[in-house]
Amino acid sequence: MRVIIFSWEYPPRIVGQLADYVKRLAGLLVKNQVQTYVVTYHDYLTGGHDDSDGVKTVRVSNPVRTHIGVLTWVLTLNQEVERVAANVHYDTGKQVDLIDVHDWHFIPAAVTLKKALNIPYIYSVESLENHRSHGANTPFNMAIKSIEWLGMYEADALQVKSKWMRDEIIRAYKVPSDRMKAVSSESANWIREVLANYDAVTRSAVLR
Amino acid sequence: MSRSLSVMMLSWEFPPRIIGGISPHVYYLSKSLARSGVKVYVVTCDFPKAPQHEVIDGVEVFRIDSYKNPAPDFATWVYLMNVNMQKEAAALINSLNGEVDIIHAHDWLVATAGIGLKHVFRKPLFATMHSTEIGRRSEIRSDYERMIHETEAWLTYEAWKVICCSDYMISHVRWAFGLPADKSIMIPNGVNTEVYTETEDLGEFRKKFALPEEKIALFVGRLVYEKGVHLLVNAAPRVLEKVNVKFVIVGNGYMKEQLSSLVKGMGLAHKVLFTGFVDDVTLRRLQRCADVSVVPSLFEPFGIVALEAMAAKSPIVVSDTGGLSEIVEHDITGVKVYVNNPESLAWGIMKVLSDDGYASWLRTNAYRKVEEKYDWNKIAQRTKDAYSAVLNEYSRSFWAQKSQVK
Repeated sequence: MRVIIFSWEYPPRIVGQLADYVKRLAGLLVKNQVQTYVVTYHDYLTGGHDDSDGVKTVRVSNPVRTHIGVLTWVLTLNQEVERVAANVHYDTGKQVDLIDVHDWHFIPAAVTLKKALNIPYIYSVESLENHRSHGANTPFNMAIKSIEWLGMYEADALQVKSKWMRDEIIRAYKVPSDRMKAVSSESANWIREVLANYDAVTRSAVLR
Repeated sequence: MSRSLSVMMLSWEFPPRIIGGISPHVYYLSKSLARSGVKVYVVTCDFPKAPQHEVIDGVEVFRIDSYKNPAPDFATWVYLMNVNMQKEAAALINSLNGEVDIIHAHDWLVATAGIGLKHVFRKPLFATMHSTEIGRRSEIRSDYERMIHETEAWLTYEAWKVICCSDYMISHVRWAFGLPADKSIMIPNGVNTEVYTETEDLGEFRKKFALPEEKIALFVGRLVYEKGVHLLVNAAPRVLEKVNVKFVIVGNGYMKEQLSSLVKGMGLAHKVLFTGFVDDVTLRRLQRCADVSVVPSLFEPFGIVALEAMAAKSPIVVSDTGGLSEIVEHDITGVKVYVNNPESLAWGIMKVLSDDGYASWLRTNAYRKVEEKYDWNKIAQRTKDAYSAVLNEYSRSFWAQKSQVK
């Protein structure tokens, strides 16, 4: 199996909890014979990739240097994520089985790659704008929510870390519960359950 | 290639959605390309009551759901709209088994969608730069403006070729983005002569705007500073000393109040008529009636209004600047006057209005020039040649070879 993970943070760039989580996930996937690519952002560690722990990591930077906020920054970075993922797709003879996109930042890229190249994706929800914005609903918050909504609508499956998050997504976004799997990274079966989710999505994508 | 060449145009406006000049440009270009055997798909923003998919004059038009929540600002809306445009265009190209040869993006307004599609499908990207942020604002002052400027630079960087409508714009774009000379191609804007071929008598129509003994001097454009309408008003008294003229000013803009009080103050209210915005039919008739059409712009990337006047067989007087300098050959297809100079402008207008023989000489030459150089079919042919040349280069690239393996 060949999987590309999208995450806006990855060591050495650590913003919150996601970076270490994705690092651990990628390492365990490699140990379980999954060919794992991580596409992430870094401002100066760019060009080529590194293969520490067998994880092929590609870091992109934003071609547009000046921004008025995180939203425009994200929306112009997605094309570079698409470029890198498309390169993996073509370089491997179109054998990418799955994209695992963490949080909302690179949802547009995941959606486009699915529509263009039939690569299924899992949306791994770390947090929701609903919680981060503390009830604010400015055009800025709305835009991020709409990207989250798009991500949920188009995803082949959603993966969350707790039953609480699953219930929150049902409440805020009305996503049917059978499209979501809650997998705790604290559980002893964590990586096995993740692999089972990956398998289920790729199998049904092949059937389609 | 057994099937015909095919191109996907990305444009944020397409009729009936008309905001500026890109909409008619993409419409006529697409239609003429389709007529010459190119398969054209247009992906554009939706518009009330316009269908999601339709075929117009042989062109397949797809209207996408543009982002409709309130957006923080215009540029952010543009990027959000592009998320949808890219998604829908990707699904469309996939449904066509990738049989789209070229992605053609019009302005930064569709930059991110165009760049993403280029990489995902590994197709050559064309960009037409209709205008630039630094040209519109004359300098970059804020992060917002710089972000747009850098997005434009990125689009020209990613494009295989950059098309501009005048030599003036080519040199401007090279300067603004440091573009290599061999990346840009000049293909002019076109004008559709067919819409001026009505033959009915305009005597009655003319009476609504001018007395029979008055000549008509026509201005068409937004009433904004860079269009130079105030120069025309200032030139009026000099012209009226020699010729009996009605100045007809078509268009709206922030200078309207200021201009009409200027006219009143000069005691010329009976000689200058502000019509406001008029419909296409009225506009074309006015252009056909005009004894002279005046384009006194201070800044003009192309100058489509001069071409329209030429197609309508109205003699033109233009300021010698930007794209206008290239369109008009002085004393042959029109009269060029000094920029920002009412005296020179008055001289040009009087030269045309006081000599019928001279006016008809300009009219005949100008119309011939339009047919020779600015005919949409010829422009489409030049665009098609540019596509073919790029596809030929592309076919030898590793992208073409790797991507075609099934």
